[in-house]
Order: sequence, then structure tokens, then C-alpha cells
Amino acid sequence: MSAGSRIWERLRKDRTGLTGLAIVGIFLALAIGVWLGFFGQGWSAADGGRWEPMSPEFWFGTNLLGQDIFQRSIFSVRTAFEIGLIVAVVSTSLGALLGALAGWYSHTWVDGTILWVKGVLDSIPFYLFVAAVAYALQGKPWAMHVAMIATFWTTTSRLVRGEVMKIKSREFILSARAIGLPDFVILLRHVLPNTLHILLVQASIAFVAAIKTEVILSFLGLGVQDGVSWGLMLAESTQEVLAGHFNNFLAASVMLFMLLMGFNMLADALQDAFDPRRSAE
Amino acid sequence: MNPRRYRLAGIWLTLAAALTLASCDERQESRAQRADFSIYRHSMDGAPSSLDPAQASHLYANFLAVNLYDTLYRYKYLARPYQLAPNLADDLPRVSADGLIYTIRIKPGVYFIDDPAFPDGKGRAVRAADFVYSLKRQFDPDTKAQGTWLWQGRIVGLDEWKENGSDYDEDVPGLKALDDRTVQIQLISPFPQLTHTLAQGFSAIVPREAVDFYGPEFAIHPVGSGPYKLQLFNSASAVLVRNTGFRKEPFSLEAEGFTPESQSRFGLEPLEGRMPPFTDRIEIEFIAEDAARWNAFIAGELDFIKVPVSQFDQVLASREPPTLTPALAAKYYLGANLESGFVHTDFNMDDQRIGYHPDPDQDARNKALRCAITKAFDWPKRNEIFYYGIGQVFPGIIPPAAAEFQKDQDASAVTRDLDGARDLLSKFGWNAGNLPILEYGFPSHVTERQMFEQFRSFMSDIGYPEDKIRSLTYATYGDYARAFLNREVMLATTGWTMDYPDAQNTVQLFFGPNSSPGSNSANYDNEEFNRLYRASSTMQPSPMRTAMYRNMNRIVIDDCATISGISRTLILLWDRDLAMLPDRSFVGGFFFRFVDSGKAGPAAAEDSGREATQ
Repeated sequence: MSAGSRIWERLRKDRTGLTGLAIVGIFLALAIGVWLGFFGQGWSAADGGRWEPMSPEFWFGTNLLGQDIFQRSIFSVRTAFEIGLIVAVVSTSLGALLGALAGWYSHTWVDGTILWVKGVLDSIPFYLFVAAVAYALQGKPWAMHVAMIATFWTTTSRLVRGEVMKIKSREFILSARAIGLPDFVILLRHVLPNTLHILLVQASIAFVAAIKTEVILSFLGLGVQDGVSWGLMLAESTQEVLAGHFNNFLAASVMLFMLLMGFNMLADALQDAFDPRRSAE
Repeated sequence: MNPRRYRLAGIWLTLAAALTLASCDERQESRAQRADFSIYRHSMDGAPSSLDPAQASHLYANFLAVNLYDTLYRYKYLARPYQLAPNLADDLPRVSADGLIYTIRIKPGVYFIDDPAFPDGKGRAVRAADFVYSLKRQFDPDTKAQGTWLWQGRIVGLDEWKENGSDYDEDVPGLKALDDRTVQIQLISPFPQLTHTLAQGFSAIVPREAVDFYGPEFAIHPVGSGPYKLQLFNSASAVLVRNTGFRKEPFSLEAEGFTPESQSRFGLEPLEGRMPPFTDRIEIEFIAEDAARWNAFIAGELDFIKVPVSQFDQVLASREPPTLTPALAAKYYLGANLESGFVHTDFNMDDQRIGYHPDPDQDARNKALRCAITKAFDWPKRNEIFYYGIGQVFPGIIPPAAAEFQKDQDASAVTRDLDGARDLLSKFGWNAGNLPILEYGFPSHVTERQMFEQFRSFMSDIGYPEDKIRSLTYATYGDYARAFLNREVMLATTGWTMDYPDAQNTVQLFFGPNSSPGSNSANYDNEEFNRLYRASSTMQPSPMRTAMYRNMNRIVIDDCATISGISRTLILLWDRDLAMLPDRSFVGGFFFRFVDSGKAGPAAAEDSGREATQ
């Protein structure tokens, strides 16, 4: 049985993991549907009355402007996936690259510089740093993404560095060196693929963290600038809750909770499936 | 548990009991002390950062400045429309025939409060020279004053005094203390609004000794001659106590402009003949968060609140006129206060995509586009959603608070006309493909974002593609203001609060030479408008001047330079135990001295633990 099959077999036996996968799958389908223009396209139209209750026309009711809360919460799935995917992919790739370099050239100036940058970034309280970067770059469409990527790569980088330091003394790497392969070829072709289990788990963690952070930044007015997100819906609801209208608040929080819960369950299951101690059993 | 542990526990219990009793004693003592006080507990939705009148640029600072210090003039407590009244001055100014020289006498026997800044700590008499000093401070760069603009280019020699290094020992030809009680101001050209500027917190009179004595700390050590003096000030609250040395001037309902038909229900009649200030102690809570402020008020911890719009549904039984629900009406008075200003969305006329264009054809097309946008704007809906339908929508730039406001003017500029808008677009060759991208700027707050989304939905009704209406967000209001002052924002929504009830204060917002970074953030520049403004700016109030203002209003409307406007109605609630008529407009903080709080003793005692925790 191949390694991939073993991992899938373990994942398949993990009911919690499968539930997580199903939830994430449903949300992914929703996001793709929004991308393709199947649902959520009327998120900005203000066709209803102010704070209308749930009805066949407006499933989750309407907000202050008379916008359909259901359409807005569905469109926000796309926003969440866009941000989550971009941040997860870029921050994990950056972490992998810098971690691999640091691990390969460990105890040299390259390693020292990367560790120093990582140490500096890690020493700043996370939300403070992200909010400061987002604030400084506000008005730029990628401000929030840059803020998150700038901090999320460090954990991946630390884990990959350790893994690469372990891998680089193994025989197949020594053989590659002996036949004269250049460093970057060895790194890309033989080292990094062996850190895939770390990258997959880290990407799923970064995905969840990005969604949470987006909600917090948007709530503070530093996140999504044009469009809608659960964070913006929660920010709107602060005034509505005071007036006794909870639909916006409930829709955004329940959707957010379900997606994060699903992703956490999936990430835990992935971690267990990739755990080398289990593969040794 | 061993005996030693029992002993230790006993000691702890005894200590705790002793502390509790001591704290009860303190509360009892405080209660007894405060039983003799009358207290009014006011709430504000923002806080001042400085109590120096030179920094009194917003409502919160102004409220405190006019109570801690004296201004020469104030607004009558009850008169509507607002009318000026002498405050420290003994009468309205004597003005020379050419309107250039103002002579003002100040009241005798007015003293600053006792303070270590004075020899032997005894407050001295307020003199005309103190007013001269206080106005000079506005032009001293070291003061970093925010009220300079009120008198810039107005008083003979004052701008030069600033340019020559702001030496306080150097005389200003147009600003003199003729004797201890007489001030003379000489203007460069007639400025009919001068007396109004002398009712602003900026013009409050400060003693030079205190400014020198406290230095930068003067901002938190007010030394004035106002009806109150400061006992406590921090970012959460301020406590003012009666200035026992305040001049004795009996309260007169007639002199304050009392209107029995509309004001007799507030219980003000018994105040006749009494000496203000009527309340011993004013406690002001600065609570920015709506929910917290509202909860504190409902819990009885505050006597007054400006009701958050989100609560209007719960508070009001009817809108026209606003009335309270029976349960609240039994406990509180309601005041519906139309703001002395307005909210408007200006086109940046300096932006060739929407404003003036050197090519006459394109210029005409841009004007048609602006007019179409104005026609598509749904004012009733804006009012309904954001102002609970009780704001007052009006066409143009002269709001209802101005005496020159025209009630029966043509309202077509604020009436939605989708067909008219579409016709204009098609007549001038605009279509979804060639319409420009509209950049709508706003500070990144929830309400402003919702206003943007509403604007976008209005425009989509005339076929303006949603992806061509883009948000331009700014982290803070300061960043936003900087952007439109730098002419970077294509469409900017701003609010303007009038400094005095004279339409000159709003028409100047569209006077060409005031373009950004001046107050004309629309960068509007119309030759005829500018001519009328120049001609009217030196005129005393008259039917002719009013007609000129109204002409200017019409010119701005016809040019579609702004989507305007609405004056918001503020809903104020206050405890029925209080005899007062609060105001957030021109009277502002001046009303504190007329608050009669029946809250001595028991009501005050409920709050007795508070002082100890501060």
C-alpha cells in the first residue's frame, strides 16, 4: 500500500474528519457556486424593507438597508474562501521556501537572517501586528492579505526548517549531492516533497486562521473594503442587536462557526493521518 | 484544618469585615455630604482632550469651555430662532456707522476663580485686557489654536502681529482695551457675524497668569470666570462644581425668550428671579459606545441622553411630531432638536471625470451626469433608513437652522426622478459602457459603509453599473478629511455644523477662493456665486441679503455641485425631576447654568459610591 493510500485509509476511518471534510466540501461548493454566479449575486441589492423578518422571499430576513441577509451570508462564503485560499497558499509557500533555505543552509548567515526576521515578527503580538499592517496599507486592495501572509509564514518556516535539517543528512540526499545535483534542484525535487505532510496541515491551519483574522479585521473596519464578509455583517449587527434585530448577527456567526468547526475537524484528522508515529505502527 | 489555620482565617475575616465597615462609613459620610448638593448628571457621546478654549473645536470641548470660562456673548437660553444675548458684555456691541469699529463694555465686578496662579491664590477682576490677550492667543503659533480662522483677515493688525512673532507686549491696532472695561475691535472690512464669533468657546476669556503658570498643563487646569469650576477631569468623566463667586444675575424668562405655548411643560416658570447657576454640581460622563450610554441612562445613572438612532424604534411612539412611548413619557421629557447643520455629498468639481472640464461639450456632459446622479438619489429613503425618517430634507446649502432658510422653496432638487435621470444620461450620450468610475470616499465605519452601499443601490436604479461605483476607504476621519482637502476624493459625504445661525456660514462652503484645502471641499467656483458672496459678506442682515443668499443657493442647485441635504433631528431625553431645556446646537453648553436639578439628597445618595472609585 502506498503512503497516499495509507493516509486516505486513516482519514476514511476518522468519522470526525469525514464530517469536517463534508462540511468544508459543502462550503466549497457554495463558494464555487457564487464564483460561477449561481447564488449570492443579489447581495448588494436593497430591495426589501428595513429589518424584515424571515420570509419565503428573504430566508434570513433583511438588514438595515433592506438587503437580503441570506444572499449576503452566502456571498461571504466566497469572500472567506478567497482570502483563506490566497493567504494559505502564499503563506505556506513562503514558509516552505524560507524554512527550506534556513534548514538547508543551517548555521550559516542565510539561516541566521531568516531566523532573525522570524523572531522579530513572532515577538510582536499577532493581532496588533496584523491590525497595524492592515491600517498602514488601508485603501490598498491587498492590505489584509499582506498583513496575514507577513505573519503566517513563520510557523510553517520553523517546522519545515527542522524537517529539512533532518532530511538533508539522509542517504538519498547524500547520493544526490554525490552525483553533483545543484542545491536548488535537490531542495525542490527531493527535500520539499518530503515536507508535504507539514505543508498540508499548516495550510489548513492557515486557512482557518485567515478566515478568523479577516472577520476580526473587517469588524474593526480594516478588512474587506468592497464587498461583503461575515466580519462586515457582524460589524453591522452591533447596531442592530441594540435595536433588537439579531438576524445579521446569527447568520454570520452560525456560518462562520460551521466553516471553522468543519476546518478544525478536518485539520485535526489530517494531522492524525500524516502523523509519522501512526505510520510506524 | 489545624488551630493555626483557624486563627489565620479569623484574622482575614476580621480584616475583611473591618474594611467593609470602613467602606460603608465612607459611603455614609459621602451620602450625608452629598445630601446637601443638587446634582445634574449629563452624558456625552465623545470626550474633549483639552479644556483650553483655544482647542474648543468640537461640541464636547465647547460645552466645558463655556461653563468654565466667560465669553462676551452667548445665545438666549429659550429663544428660537436663536438670538444673541450679552454674557460678560454688559450689552450688545456699539457698531460704528461704517460697520468697522465695535466697542464692547464688560460687566463690572466679575472675578476669575481663586487659583494658585494668582498672587495669594485670590482670583482677580476680569479686565478688557484679558479679552485682548485671549484673542491674541488664537494667533500665537505656540498655542496651536484651532479657532484662528474665525478672525483671520478680519481684525486690523492681528495677522501682522502673528507674522511679527506674536509678542504679547506688542499692541495690535485693531484690538484694544481702551480701559479696564472697554474693548474696541477695528475690522479690515465689515464682518456682520463678528458678534456671533464672540459667543464661541474659542473666544472665552483666560487670564495670562494662569496660562504662564501652568504652561502646557493649562489644558487641564482651567482658570476662568464661568458659572462652574472644575473638580475632576479625565477621559471618562468631568465634574463641575458651582463657582460661588459667579456674578448675580436673576433669571428672566422673558429675557431668555421663553415661549409659553411650547415651553411651559418643562417646568421652567419657578426659575424666574433665581440666580444661576441653579445646580451645585454637574457630573458629565463621556460614553462613546451607544449601548453603554443607553444602558446607563435606563438604569438611572444618568439624567440626560442623546438617544442613539438604533433606539428610536423603542423610544418613539410617533414620528410626526416625535412622541415618547407612554412608559418613557411617564419618566422623561423629550426634546427633538433639529441640528444646526446638515449632511451633504459633494462632487469634486476639480475632477475632470465628473466636475469642470476645459472642453465645453464634456463640461456639459459632466454636468448632466451630476444632475442625473442627484435626481437618482432617494432622499426619503436615506432619511428613513439612517435618520428614522425624522430628519429634515431640504434642497441646497441653506439648512433650516439658518434664519435665511426658505420653507416654501422648490423641492425638485431633493425629489427622486428616475425617468428624468435616465433621460439626461441618454440625451448627453452616457451609457453603461462609457460612464466613468465613481469613487465614493468614506472613513471605514459601519454607517458610512452602509451609506455607500445605499448610494450604489440608488445609482443601479438608473443603470449605473455596480462595479463602476467603488469605495475609497480611509482608516480614520482625519485621513478622509486630508484626502478630500487634497482633492483626491471624487464624491465625499461630509457634515457641517454651523458656527452661528447665519447662512453666510454655509454659503461660504461653496465660495471659489475657499477651495481645498479651504472649507470649499467641492472646489466649486462659479463667477456669479462668488460675486454675490463678496457683495453679501459685508452686509448686515436684511431682506436684500437674504435674497442674495437664496440666489446663491439656487446657483449651486442648478449646477448640481452637491447632493444636499438633510438636517438630522436629535432625540434628547431627560429626567422629569429636572427643570431644563437642553440644547446641542448654538446654545450648547450655555444651558448648564440654567439646569435646575431637584436631585438633591436621596437621588444623589444612590450614586454615592462613585466618587470613591474615581
